Amino acid sequence: MTRNTEAVFILAATVLASLGVAMVQFAGGIWLDSAVALTFVSFALAFGSLHVAFRLWAPNANAMILPIAAFLTALGTVEVFRLDAELAALQRWWLVFAGVVGASIVWLLRSTGVAVLRRYRYLFLAAAMVLLMLPLLPASWPVHGAVVNGSRLWVRIDLPFAARALSFQPGEVAKVLLTIFLASYLADRSEAMSTVSRTVGPFRIPEPRHLGPVIVAAGVSFVVLVYQRDLGASLLLFGLFVGMLYVATGRGFYLGMGLVLVTVAGAAAFTMFSHVQVRIEAWLDPFADYAGSGYQTAQGLFAMGSGSLTGSGLGLGRPDLIPAAATDFVFAAIGEELGLAGSIAVIVGYAFLVAIGFGIALRSRDRFRKYLAAGLTILLGLQTFLIIAGIVRLLPITGITLPFMSYGGSSLLASAMIAALLGRISHEERT
Amino acid sequence: MNAPLRRTAWAIIIGFAVLVAATVWIQAVAGPGYRDDPRNPRLATWRVGRERGAIVTADAAVVARSDPNPLDPQTFARVYPENDLNAHTVGYVSVLFGSRGLERTRESDLVSHRDSTISGLLNAVLGGDPRPRGLRLTIDEELQRTAAAALEGERGSIIAMDPTTGAVLASVSTPGFDPNALIGPDAGLAGQQLDEDPNQPLLHRTIATTYPPGSSFKIITAATALETGVAGPATEFDDPLELELPGTTATIHNYDDDVCVDGDTVSLAEAFVRSCNTVFAELGMAVGGEALAETAEAFGFNQVIPYDLPVLASAFPEPFDFASDPPATAQNALGQRDVRATPIQMGVVAAAIANGGNIMVPHVVADVFTHDGMIESTTDVELWRRAVSPATAAILTDLMEQAVISGTGRNAAVPGVRVAGKTGTAQVTGAAPDVWFVGFAPVDPEPGERQVAVAVILEDGGPAGETASGGSIAAPIAATLFAQYLK
Repeated sequence: MTRNTEAVFILAATVLASLGVAMVQFAGGIWLDSAVALTFVSFALAFGSLHVAFRLWAPNANAMILPIAAFLTALGTVEVFRLDAELAALQRWWLVFAGVVGASIVWLLRSTGVAVLRRYRYLFLAAAMVLLMLPLLPASWPVHGAVVNGSRLWVRIDLPFAARALSFQPGEVAKVLLTIFLASYLADRSEAMSTVSRTVGPFRIPEPRHLGPVIVAAGVSFVVLVYQRDLGASLLLFGLFVGMLYVATGRGFYLGMGLVLVTVAGAAAFTMFSHVQVRIEAWLDPFADYAGSGYQTAQGLFAMGSGSLTGSGLGLGRPDLIPAAATDFVFAAIGEELGLAGSIAVIVGYAFLVAIGFGIALRSRDRFRKYLAAGLTILLGLQTFLIIAGIVRLLPITGITLPFMSYGGSSLLASAMIAALLGRISHEERT
Repeated sequence: MNAPLRRTAWAIIIGFAVLVAATVWIQAVAGPGYRDDPRNPRLATWRVGRERGAIVTADAAVVARSDPNPLDPQTFARVYPENDLNAHTVGYVSVLFGSRGLERTRESDLVSHRDSTISGLLNAVLGGDPRPRGLRLTIDEELQRTAAAALEGERGSIIAMDPTTGAVLASVSTPGFDPNALIGPDAGLAGQQLDEDPNQPLLHRTIATTYPPGSSFKIITAATALETGVAGPATEFDDPLELELPGTTATIHNYDDDVCVDGDTVSLAEAFVRSCNTVFAELGMAVGGEALAETAEAFGFNQVIPYDLPVLASAFPEPFDFASDPPATAQNALGQRDVRATPIQMGVVAAAIANGGNIMVPHVVADVFTHDGMIESTTDVELWRRAVSPATAAILTDLMEQAVISGTGRNAAVPGVRVAGKTGTAQVTGAAPDVWFVGFAPVDPEPGERQVAVAVILEDGGPAGETASGGSIAAPIAATLFAQYLK
């Protein structure tokens, strides 16, 4: 794989996205309009700038990351366009923005390498905490938090010149910043944390003071759950912390403790919060309260079932019947219109991306880079797993976005950041 | 230090493998179940918008077809060019009201199999034709129109069938409805009006309403006497002015409150021809409830008649409920009290007599044809059950022919055609009588000649109201049908 092959694949994904949009328009009986061209341009700009950045400042970067990301984004963009052309227009702007930010990251790290990030870890931690708290800003401020579907995840900026408030989910970016912090923290401490100093019965336990981070992790996750009522983000953060601790220390103890904590916290959340109870009940039997709490899950199942093997075809299904089809349930929408073939292709795409990410981490010689690559990959893999598992009823619905594919600027931005960082790390390992 | 990383990687990859398995399960294995779940909102539009095969009558008049929807090229619109003519039999597919009739029961033939399920894929790979099939009905377009015209403005039903095959030649239930209205832009309002109409136009009376058969049931009472040997056509009975029923003050009168013949004695044949209640009440008590029930069931009462559409079972009460109650036996023997029959059931009774006592499975779908118009499968002509012996059927045929020649069924006579039949004027408490004619023609068809059995019923006496009788109202309609079909 060379940069040229990468360029060809990116072009192919760009054409795929444009053709997909054209097909949706044909299916809707509309003659093609500027959306096809704009999709082409936005893809070319976003992935083109990332590609050029790799070419210039990370020439040895893994050449499969961008093509896979571009194909997933293409499928997502087409499906979002199919569901809501207006959202897709916004998404195009976000895509270009995310591509430029990704490219800028590669440019910023061009001479220092990712190692420089290690120095600013407390800055990232603070930024992440501020971002996580932003949705709690009072509604009267120009920049304020907003509750959507019962979760306080959103920040809205009222722009005096725009009719529509600009909104984003700061938590998405905060997750990436927290990963950088954790990778850096663990790169310094992992030796100490993996030292087993005492045993209690059959358990070998590290120094109590090393347990601090795990407890902090559980704490942060629980705070997110309580104040933002966001089951998905909370699980994701917790999984990220525990996963990275395990990767860094190799101690099964952290996994065990994580499991215990997640069980205790889960049980507590189940008894304390009605919205968690509702989610669990809707998971166990979505048809028990079909018109109420089970509605979204049931609609997702109907969509997936109606899609069968090859799907209804782009623009020919009814994914608009699924609540939140463009965001959390975009996978079900793909499943309906592209069928099992499409949904398996999507899962396989993510599996490739995750495999590449872990491959980069495994080959990294430097601890920080290894943990960072692992952390970003865990973040990507776990997020994908949680939301798809929710749709296919392996787990309760967690209400998080599907990286690269869901509608949402912040999600796309975070995904582009992950792709840029993974690319840069892989470059550094080969030079 | 890579071991935990490797394990984490494997854990996530295995997680993804589980996702693939779960997705395969949801989409390919459990998928058709979710797709066809009645709560799936796609189902209504999907079912209605799919291309469906044409439905045509025996003589190729189009009853239903699918036209490409001009507003949405992906979907089709169902059109019923005959409006209400075959509405009850063919039914409809509507987003708001679901599906009825053959559109419902033969959906698997009528819809396209061009779908992406595992079975659809296998079918395509194995060279199956995914295009929708059409149905050719046994309905004779002209006879159907004649029957519909005869019941115009009335509540009632007509069924005409070929006794030797069970093929339904005409099936009318009035008032009718226009299925196009239930799928059009004002479907909601149209459906509500049809629903609220006190005349119940949506009700498929031919198969879903039971009426007291009245004197037309005397065919079965007479058959019981012949089969059990209790009486023959020449057996003489008393001819009283009224028959006192044992253990009650109730009496049985004849239709005209007079004696049957001369007040002395009367033969069973004479009593059948004149439809004398006094004689048949006595005969009913003589043969007994057990035997009556047995014969009624041999004709199909208390069973579900096999048909292309779901048929309500006609009812003859359990002998346990009345056999020790002679007055009840007497009234049931006259087709009153607790006896109830659907029009198709009485059509089957007529057809059984015409066919030497054998009941053929009634059917309205002649064959299923492919999109190219080739016949794919033809409905088998099958014996359903044997109602009576050929000898009994022959005697009953004689009695029924006499009833048309010189008895209550005179108005069913057609010049040059040997018609057999039995009238019925069923008393309904608080309303005008339901009037029947049950019969067939010609009595003895030449090989290759057409024969048709009919049951005609008009609720509440039809146009004549209180003064109506089966002979005055239903029999002339039967004559029109015979004349039309046998001309």
